[in-house]
Amino acid sequence: MVDTVSFLPVSNFDGSNPSEPLQSRRIPMKVQLLIFFGLLAVGLFAALLTSNNGSDFVTESEHGSLVSLNTAKPELLQPVSRGPAAGVSEKSNRLFAKDGENMVAFPWNNSMLSWQRTAFHFQPERNWMNDPNGPLFYKGWYHFFYQYNPHAAVWGDIVWGHAVSKDLIHWLHLPLAMVADRTYDKNGVWTGSATILPDGKIVMLYTGSDADAVQVQNLAYPTDHSDPLLINWVKFSGNPVLVPPPGILSKDFRDPTTAWWTSEGKWRLTIGSKINKTGIAFVYETKDFITYEKLDGVLHAVDGTGMWECVDFFPVSKTKENGLDTSINNPDVKHVLKVSLDDDKNDYYAIGTYHEKNAAFIPDDPENDVGIGLRYDYGVYYAAKTFYDQNKNRRVLWGWIKESDSEAADVQKGWASVQSIPRTILLDQKTGTHLLQWPVEEIESLRLNSYDFNQVTVQAGSVVPLDVGPATQLDIIAEFKIDKEALDKATGSDLTFSCSSSGGAVKRGALGPFGLLALAEDSLSEQTPVYFYIAKGSDGNLKTFFCNDQTRSSEASDVNKQIFGSVVPVLEGENLSLRVLVDHSIIESFAQGGRTVITSRVYPTKAIYGAAKLFLFNNATEAGVNASLRIWQMSSAFIRPYPNIDNQPQ
Amino acid sequence: MNKFICFSLHYLIFSFTFSPVNSRENRASLIGTTCKTTPFYNLCVSALQSDPHSSSTDIPGLAQIGANKVKAKATATLKQITNLLEQSKDQSLKKALLDCVDYYDAIVEYDFPTAIDAVVKGDPKFGVQGLNDAANEALACERRFEKQPKFPIEGDNKVVHDLSAVASSIVALLL
Repeated sequence: MVDTVSFLPVSNFDGSNPSEPLQSRRIPMKVQLLIFFGLLAVGLFAALLTSNNGSDFVTESEHGSLVSLNTAKPELLQPVSRGPAAGVSEKSNRLFAKDGENMVAFPWNNSMLSWQRTAFHFQPERNWMNDPNGPLFYKGWYHFFYQYNPHAAVWGDIVWGHAVSKDLIHWLHLPLAMVADRTYDKNGVWTGSATILPDGKIVMLYTGSDADAVQVQNLAYPTDHSDPLLINWVKFSGNPVLVPPPGILSKDFRDPTTAWWTSEGKWRLTIGSKINKTGIAFVYETKDFITYEKLDGVLHAVDGTGMWECVDFFPVSKTKENGLDTSINNPDVKHVLKVSLDDDKNDYYAIGTYHEKNAAFIPDDPENDVGIGLRYDYGVYYAAKTFYDQNKNRRVLWGWIKESDSEAADVQKGWASVQSIPRTILLDQKTGTHLLQWPVEEIESLRLNSYDFNQVTVQAGSVVPLDVGPATQLDIIAEFKIDKEALDKATGSDLTFSCSSSGGAVKRGALGPFGLLALAEDSLSEQTPVYFYIAKGSDGNLKTFFCNDQTRSSEASDVNKQIFGSVVPVLEGENLSLRVLVDHSIIESFAQGGRTVITSRVYPTKAIYGAAKLFLFNNATEAGVNASLRIWQMSSAFIRPYPNIDNQPQ
Repeated sequence: MNKFICFSLHYLIFSFTFSPVNSRENRASLIGTTCKTTPFYNLCVSALQSDPHSSSTDIPGLAQIGANKVKAKATATLKQITNLLEQSKDQSLKKALLDCVDYYDAIVEYDFPTAIDAVVKGDPKFGVQGLNDAANEALACERRFEKQPKFPIEGDNKVVHDLSAVASSIVALLL
């Protein structure tokens, strides 16, 4: 028997009486007063508690960053890191030269500085550049947009630069595509991506830092779709189309991706953010790019990774060696989620499966989830973005390569940053766990004369000069075979090796280091080793590492001197293979067909112009190495303004 | 329903009246917890507290105050350097001072504006980089005087370096 007499009338919330009159829900006066004073008491109590607690700002004060400037108390002035690698102690990140060396800050002269400009990497004529934006192919032209400061060689006043090319290599500068002329992007026209609609039209979504410095998403499109150069862009009058959702801080919402088409006939895209120190990516659905519905939950989240910038999300084929349109999703496909971590300035990716039904990404290997596992590039490489190139049926990757010298030098030379050579990106079908990156084949059009070196023996502890003429613009393909007997005989040990803490190419092991000395001076006073190091475990297993050593790259002390690198998977039967692009102050190096990639910025003071040389080296103690190389001199790409175009405020 | 709205309003009004007041004590502890994350706690506290707005602002506000302190100190030190240049007759000393002028110009004209911009607009990593550079400019200036018998601006230069490191740490909290 249910007792239907109660002090409070019971409201029916089971929906069975939708027409229940409101009057039956009125609560008697006494009770209302009781509730009111009860709430008041709770309010007072809460006020008392919180007024003694000064830590409301938990989110901001959590210092989970991998950067640690909080080193031991300095006795003298201590150098401050410009970009510490994860997990490396402060000592080895010293911006300035090691103790004992002459530590006078370097007086750069114009000859040294002007040598640093690259011959075939994309860079504007002057000033600062950062993230790649909205890359696409349209009506016969590759388009590239980028974050640009028209006023200085440091970040600030950001607008969209623009350039076009027929082949991703020979670029022609165009007028600025978008400037900060609306309230919704007054404080910065930031990163964005393009989506090409089925009818061929282009929509561009980008982040604006609005007049109140809130990060919002805006829609723009070409003013004239019949203009193959897409010079003029118009912003949607109803901008912004997206603002930070509830619970998200106004400065944690940026970098919308290219959209993909679902089987339900809607577009989806993702935007990175964070909640406390958990990096997340939201998914939005839209039909017209004007109104959006935020899907519940997130595409993916990883604790402790901090803000996810420049999220990228795309399919890769499991069986074919071509790229896939962003909307493809079928059992023959894996998906890649990539993020740029604000906290450590590196780009990370994870391969996994995309479940369209609940818009979720599940990584294949949660131990190496995005942000804590594999990186696109173990050197200087950030804010990368891919696009599907429908012209050649490939997916192409752009990455921002900033400077590793001092800001003062950047200001003196009048520019800062380059882009990497665009890379094709594919799933490495042999390992299934890695992506392969490789410079686009069009770069081969810059090759001039070549030099062959066949089966050169490099004894343990020796250096072999490679006479290729000037060694500042090179494309190098090399294969290394290490003495098998030495591999078998070497005693294994438990000592863990890592490029960054190894002490560099000067530290000899039984089976390494060996490789190339790039941008090296005859006396080797300046040299940048690009090399392999084979470590043998006590169980007999071999692990191969691929490193770039900047410790002796320059006699100047105000440049980055870190050692970059990572383990590189080498499969049974594979020789060690290497491709290196040397282009003045940038070296891009690819091991095992692009399974592990390292980009470095190098600023020699002596190994410049005709004095820059190339060497083979083998600093192992027990193993000889056999190297075969083909080396091309590289022509300039003559990147310059598009002829006869008005209004080029670059 | 009306009565409920009415009482809710009353509740809200009351709760605002009694909500945690921005007490001196409350804000002073924000400066304290913030400065604990920096490499020079005492300098940080005194620098922040010397600005009247520091007692009623949030971490981005403290970051801006920190960056402004760097600019002020760097500007003052730059003035000192140019004065010394005018007075000095020692060629080698002048050369070192001239280099420091370059480093300090970089701090005032580039590092500082970039840092403020980055904090205000919400892309703090560029602020961290700018302030790290400012610290390194000061370090570069110190290195220039290693072979000199005297380093006339030693104390001020150290303050610029330390303040930059402090401000950089605060901005890093915004990452």
